Amino acid sequence: MVNKRSLPVLAAIATVIGLAVATPGAAADKTVALVLGVKGSPFYQALACGAQARARELGLKLTVSAPDQFAADSQIPVVNGVAATRPAVAAVVPTDMQALVEPLRQLHGRGTQVITVDQTISDVSFVQTQVLTDNAAGGRMAADAMNTLLGGKGKVLTITQPPGSAAQDAREAGFKAELKKFPGISYLGPQYQSDDPQKAAEIVTSTLSAHPDLAAVFSTNDQGAIGAITGLRQAGATGKVKVVAYDAATAEVNAMKNGSIQALIAQNPKQEGEAAMEAAAALIAGKHLGKTTLTEIVTIKGSDKAAADKYEYRANCN
Amino acid sequence: MNWIKSFTGRSHEELREALDSDHARTSQERFNRFIGGGWIFILLLALVAVFWVSRPEQFGSAYNLTMLAVNAAILLVLSVGQTFVIISAGIDLSLGAVLVFSSVVSAQTMLWLSGEPAGTFGTTAGGWGVVAAGLAAGLVSGAAWGMLNGLLIAVARIPALIVTLGSLGMALGMAQILTGGVDVRAVPDRLVTEVGTGTLFGMPILVVIAGSVAIIAAIVLHLTRFGLHVFAVGSNAEAARRSGIRLTLRVISIYALSGMLAGLAATMSIARFSTTTINGHAMDNLSTISAVVLGGTSLFGGVGSIVGTVIGVFIPIVLLNGFVILGIPPFWQTVAMGAVLILAVWVDQLKRRTRQGS
Repeated sequence: MVNKRSLPVLAAIATVIGLAVATPGAAADKTVALVLGVKGSPFYQALACGAQARARELGLKLTVSAPDQFAADSQIPVVNGVAATRPAVAAVVPTDMQALVEPLRQLHGRGTQVITVDQTISDVSFVQTQVLTDNAAGGRMAADAMNTLLGGKGKVLTITQPPGSAAQDAREAGFKAELKKFPGISYLGPQYQSDDPQKAAEIVTSTLSAHPDLAAVFSTNDQGAIGAITGLRQAGATGKVKVVAYDAATAEVNAMKNGSIQALIAQNPKQEGEAAMEAAAALIAGKHLGKTTLTEIVTIKGSDKAAADKYEYRANCN
Repeated sequence: MNWIKSFTGRSHEELREALDSDHARTSQERFNRFIGGGWIFILLLALVAVFWVSRPEQFGSAYNLTMLAVNAAILLVLSVGQTFVIISAGIDLSLGAVLVFSSVVSAQTMLWLSGEPAGTFGTTAGGWGVVAAGLAAGLVSGAAWGMLNGLLIAVARIPALIVTLGSLGMALGMAQILTGGVDVRAVPDRLVTEVGTGTLFGMPILVVIAGSVAIIAAIVLHLTRFGLHVFAVGSNAEAARRSGIRLTLRVISIYALSGMLAGLAATMSIARFSTTTINGHAMDNLSTISAVVLGGTSLFGGVGSIVGTVIGVFIPIVLLNGFVILGIPPFWQTVAMGAVLILAVWVDQLKRRTRQGS
């Protein structure tokens, strides 16, 4: 089947792949695998950067992998590949709370200690620890910031993901619960967009048509925030309608510096990565960990440029 | 390979004769066609060999090989449908969305039959009857989308690319409407434990199902009249019509078959993930098309094989698995997979050209 023309090509491929093959790791007990939620997201890149830096300090042998999409069917083959390498510890960002249970259980069954990072799964009986942020608390912090910005009165809209994402649901629930403390603020409820700034912009402009006295918008993620400020700019309402947004993506930090966003609720992905590696090192040393390891969330006010720069999600490792 | 064009206007019998005489060429050529330009098979073997040699105890472990097969299973069932469509010179972009829609219909049917409330989380106690009803619901809803595609293509004469792009959006949107965007999280425990993770003589059930589908599809495609018609429609639709093939009916049945296989894949997907995956399967259409093309099936129709598709499905899966095991950085994996696709098809083209020139 192979004619003479294709042989050199084959040989070339074999050589390239052969060169790419690193020598197998020595100390098998220090290997840690990190599986991110998706490739190319600044948030997860920052998380990977934090993990890599801390793994170096702790002397762990870390490999990072990630699926093409933030979806279970895309991530499970990656998790299976990691399971085949039998690392001592695997830190995984599960992309679905239910579909990832079985693959992670298999990973555990093959002698790897499992940590979940950033997201979690519905059955954590075999998970050593979950590195998480308190999303409901983040929602409450957003409501408090909103109250300060509005001086206690006005109409407020939330832009969030359709129900089903545990983290975003918790942010909206926390926000809604805390708003009840402020009787002057009337809550218009949530509107949904799926990581689609265009949709978020449409929601904001049409809400402004219905409620010209809209006072503020809370977005539970960066894509919604980018859409919201676009919609406000389109409607000429930038600055008049306040925006409080989750995350500290570069676009959001820039928008805060030019006054389109008034406050950010920032997570600390770098710290999440570091916390995951510290947990991994502790597990390798035979220590026992609590079921959850919380990492910080902070409110950044528009005037605090230093904090905005500090918490901005940066994809480069330094 | 566009030999059939020279038979425009001949009767059905003559067309069949011509096809039969083609079948009777040298065994070497028949083998070539059978595995769709065997170069791809060699590439797959080379990949496996390289990964195996560099990480024998990890890549070559029984666990990993089983996982490779399980990861290929659902995509293989979808790709088999796509093979029929592409051989008939069509394209089906709606596969992944039809899978999502069918999985929602199937999961909701099973949830409703097991009598649990809609928001149930975890697993239900539904028996085999419930599972069978869910499977049937998935197959029927998948086939219905396929028939709609086929009707619009064959009767309304809208290009397949546009029709299936449209039904991609419609099926996904309908799935979101049916569920309010929230995955159905409760499926029968039996389906998950006995089909999703179960084994038969050591083979995962999902792999057994996908293997059976591939074998049956290969028989249908290469040895039956229906299969012959699929090739004829793809080689030259006008010639096929003049030689007495009922074109409209054939096109509709080809897309219905593809939709029905997406419905089967939907139930397999529920069994595997124990939930519907509304936000997943976005790239399934392109994955199946690249698998089919890697397997030597011509995007212009009229040429192709199931065996080639099986090999084509495994190449990206083996690559991803091998790269993860070797710890190659994620972004380089994306680049390498794209390069392998182009390289493989290019070399396959060279092979074809030399073969036709000789």
